[in-house]
Amino acid sequence: MNKIFSTRVERDLVGLIIRTYAFKSDLKIKWVRPEKIPCYKPHHSGDLVSMPSINKNQYLLEFSKSKELETANDYVKRLFTLEFNPNKCTQKLYIKQNTDKIKRHEYDGASIEVKLARWTGYIRAWQEIMERFPYNKRVKVNLKELIEKRKKHLRYLRKWDYKKFEWILEELNIVYKPSPTDPIPVTRKWSLEKLTDRYCEGIKQERLQELRLMFEREQPAFLEEKIRSLEFIRDEQKECGVEVTVTQQEIDSVKEKLDKLKLKKLEVED
Amino acid sequence: MALPAASKAYMLLGVCVPSLKQGASKFKVKRLELDVNLNMYFSKHEFLYAHDPTKLCKTGDIVLIEQLPQKLTRLITHKVKEVIYPLGDTTCPITGKKVVASKYRDHIEQVNKIYGERQNVFKYDEAPPRGWQEDKKDFSHVETYPKYHEDGSEQPYSV
Repeated sequence: MNKIFSTRVERDLVGLIIRTYAFKSDLKIKWVRPEKIPCYKPHHSGDLVSMPSINKNQYLLEFSKSKELETANDYVKRLFTLEFNPNKCTQKLYIKQNTDKIKRHEYDGASIEVKLARWTGYIRAWQEIMERFPYNKRVKVNLKELIEKRKKHLRYLRKWDYKKFEWILEELNIVYKPSPTDPIPVTRKWSLEKLTDRYCEGIKQERLQELRLMFEREQPAFLEEKIRSLEFIRDEQKECGVEVTVTQQEIDSVKEKLDKLKLKKLEVED
Repeated sequence: MALPAASKAYMLLGVCVPSLKQGASKFKVKRLELDVNLNMYFSKHEFLYAHDPTKLCKTGDIVLIEQLPQKLTRLITHKVKEVIYPLGDTTCPITGKKVVASKYRDHIEQVNKIYGERQNVFKYDEAPPRGWQEDKKDFSHVETYPKYHEDGSEQPYSV
């Protein structure tokens, strides 16, 4: 209870001394609100490539190995191509191609890599539909849910098998970014606070860099002075007959340092 | 208080969390705190920095950290002793075999061989060590943030 009471008093005191309400910063920071990107876009889903254009003269997946079609006439053959069939047949073929690339064995249909490849195929196909029909709500909902499901399973895979996780990202061309730990909506106040922090950090780094450069410029003169002083101390100690505390090794190491600095300076100038 | 603060204990087991500090790693350490009113323990997380010049531990690893005799900086109070459980590379403590979720890697490979393994299938022996996709396609080693400002520059860690 005492603790709570004391903090409240302190806060009140701060409020009395510094006026914090309706505070407006003097800094000339211009904030540009980022444009809102819909959740189903590749920017959020992490897909680096979109669905490629598929040759529509191919036969349907189910009839691709049919022997009867080989002997049929041209009209029948054309009727069994992707051109004269619904878009979902093209999607099916694309998903099959996607999964065939990374499946473990011929009968593999349920391993995590095949699942992820299949979902990736659907996501890319539906993203293309959303580009053409942005008001298709049914596809939009399914797409959003599938993107989140894929992300969830990528998260699990990362925990279970990191090497395979990285291999899958490479094979399927996906970027994995974890969600922020505390997802808060972007507001003007919060963004300006962040930008001010960044601005202050920038000033701090700039000044530190200036100070560093200044010290580095002064370094040769300082080392020369150090050599002179060390030699003077050594000579004085010898003359007075006191124990010599400055060794030649010490002086040589400083000289070596000075030579290195001069060489470095010459290299930079060249 | 039943237990001393985590920072005072000599050795601790912590989970490595994303941090941008160079030469050091950040750790989340879980401790149990006794609530004297309820007579019950509640978990409490503390964050510590440990000296790790070679970046031995990666995000998610469970690591044994040891207290330094003297503080290295204001924040760095510990040093990394050993990576106990690397993330995504689990070993069964009884058999010593590698495990993926609830299955042994050997068993998975044997099943694949029975069905007829394909050429371009993922192989653990040939896979590079963890971290080759960092900053390329895998951004789980950093803390992401919602994009709050449009300044034309590329912000790879923004969501």
